[in-house]
Amino acid sequence: MTVETPAASIAIPRPLGAQRAALAWIVGLAVALALPFVVSTFFIVLLIEIAVIALFATAFNLLMGYGGMVSFGHAAYFALGAYAAALLAKKAGWPMLAALGAAPIVAAIGALVFGYFIVRLTHTYFAMLSLAFGQIVYTIIFKWTSLTGGDNGLLNVWPPEFLRSQTAYYYFTLVIVGLCFLALYAIVTSPFGYALKAIRENPRRARFIGVNVRRHQLYAFVLSGFFSGVAGGIFAFHNGSVFPDFAFFAKSFEPLVVVLLGGVQSFYGPVAGALGFKVLEWLISKWAPIYWPLFLGAIVIAVIIVLPQGFVGLLERRTWRTRPSIAK
Amino acid sequence: MDVITNLFPWITNGPLIAVQVMSGLSVGMFLFLVSVGMSLIFGVTRIVNLAHGSFYMVSAYLMVTLVEWLPEGAAGFWIALVLAPIGVAILGGVIEVTLLRRIYHRDPMMQLILTFGLILIIGTLVLLVWGPDNKSVSRPEALAGAVRIFGQPFPSYYLLVLALAPVIAVGLWLIFYRTRWGMLVRAATVDREMLGALGVDVSLLYTEVFVFGSWLAGVGGALAAPTIAVALGMDADVLINAFVVVVIGGLGSFAGALISALLVGELQSFGILIFPAVSIVLLFAIMAIVLILRPWGLLGRPEE
Repeated sequence: MTVETPAASIAIPRPLGAQRAALAWIVGLAVALALPFVVSTFFIVLLIEIAVIALFATAFNLLMGYGGMVSFGHAAYFALGAYAAALLAKKAGWPMLAALGAAPIVAAIGALVFGYFIVRLTHTYFAMLSLAFGQIVYTIIFKWTSLTGGDNGLLNVWPPEFLRSQTAYYYFTLVIVGLCFLALYAIVTSPFGYALKAIRENPRRARFIGVNVRRHQLYAFVLSGFFSGVAGGIFAFHNGSVFPDFAFFAKSFEPLVVVLLGGVQSFYGPVAGALGFKVLEWLISKWAPIYWPLFLGAIVIAVIIVLPQGFVGLLERRTWRTRPSIAK
Repeated sequence: MDVITNLFPWITNGPLIAVQVMSGLSVGMFLFLVSVGMSLIFGVTRIVNLAHGSFYMVSAYLMVTLVEWLPEGAAGFWIALVLAPIGVAILGGVIEVTLLRRIYHRDPMMQLILTFGLILIIGTLVLLVWGPDNKSVSRPEALAGAVRIFGQPFPSYYLLVLALAPVIAVGLWLIFYRTRWGMLVRAATVDREMLGALGVDVSLLYTEVFVFGSWLAGVGGALAAPTIAVALGMDADVLINAFVVVVIGGLGSFAGALISALLVGELQSFGILIFPAVSIVLLFAIMAIVLILRPWGLLGRPEE
């Protein structure tokens, strides 16, 4: 069924050549900076949301693409960031920037506590425990009405006056997300990033050469939670309100779809995926909003069944290397 | 003792406890039907079917339509109770043959993601067919009222569920342990390659198991329909509860699913009395503890 390929031929997330990468960054940045001058406010809102989900999905891909760990409850860390930002700004009266700074820290603490247990498990059980913790976060947010407003969420979480316009908030988002991308890029190209890839390829061999597997996985989990929290915090102030749905398990599916669409094997895949995902959502929602989940499901199934050897195939080959297939 | 009675005034109320135990058992019964199907499918095909809650939901909606559509009277309800799960079994069969069959050799994550995609598709289709409003199924006349148990009212429909419970559990046990088909299913959970090598059509067996598991979810949904508001979110609720059940009991274990479904049913029934606000968190906390200490569940087998 699955053919063992020699280790050398396995394509791993390969950073573009330094020159091409720099060029891509500059062109991307120039386009991003120029866009508000040519598009309407509606598209600026769409761009902000693309940036947020691109960051969320890239943080998620640090686990899935680089660490080989698929979390089914990542919305929890997005929601922890969003709720931390909203609560600190609204209930504690913190200034927006301070609240936004605290968001990823709260999310990272959540990821540390849950991740400590989750990284002890592998494959299906890893996914299940992450889903269980995600649902715990969702339930707490949903039930703790006195703090979180329960189903009604927290409303009127707006940024200060100078960021109130969509264009200003777009540039603000671009700066924060850009800094996070630089940090994430530094992480995946650091020795830590390479150790993480080694663990994904073969945990046992990684252990033999002296890599502390569990600790590396936990660090990756916490970092992923941290950046998911940044995305959640930015989104809270963009949206002006936060709701328990942010933590619901359907939300955890979004970064997964984005990463699948864009390709797990590339650092920039999630960015392309986020662009495709949001544009598709916009096109389909405009036409018939209730069909959107139908298309989302159909797209995912089509990607899995029709493109088994495409970008998805890469993830599979590397996961199968450590597990016996049906035909042993 | 005084402290306890102050905190939990119901603790000395024997009849209330008895009724609570019985309603916990009937909730556990619905959960058992869904989770044993999910567990069975995992045991044989190694796929965690996240769309299992959706099958339960579709069956409940089919009940709504069938009960309306069939002629009035008690017979209509019973015919619907037979037909709805069959409809879901056919749906399961179609999904297995057209989609799942193609991905048995694939990464487990991809299988999970695919069945998650099915949740979204089935949920939207149900919304399109039945609309966004909650529906209800009226109980057959003979079981519409309530009986008094130790002076406490208890819906008589639940008595039917409680009476069916042992019948279904024993029936399943007989199928798994006293028929040739059950033996093949158990053999497949242990070693599928060997079973294939011995000349069994494993591919056909997968389909049969998936259809049977879907039918069980359908029976659960059809039986539960008169006790709940048939609504769009129920697929996720049921999935999550069934998921907790199979994780605590052990994926692929028949006895594990039974014990943990009854346990979870009771926990929900009493959790609402003891910790109204956090009963669901309690459930997930127990699941998390089981996953941490014994990831393969109380009666499951460790991952290879």
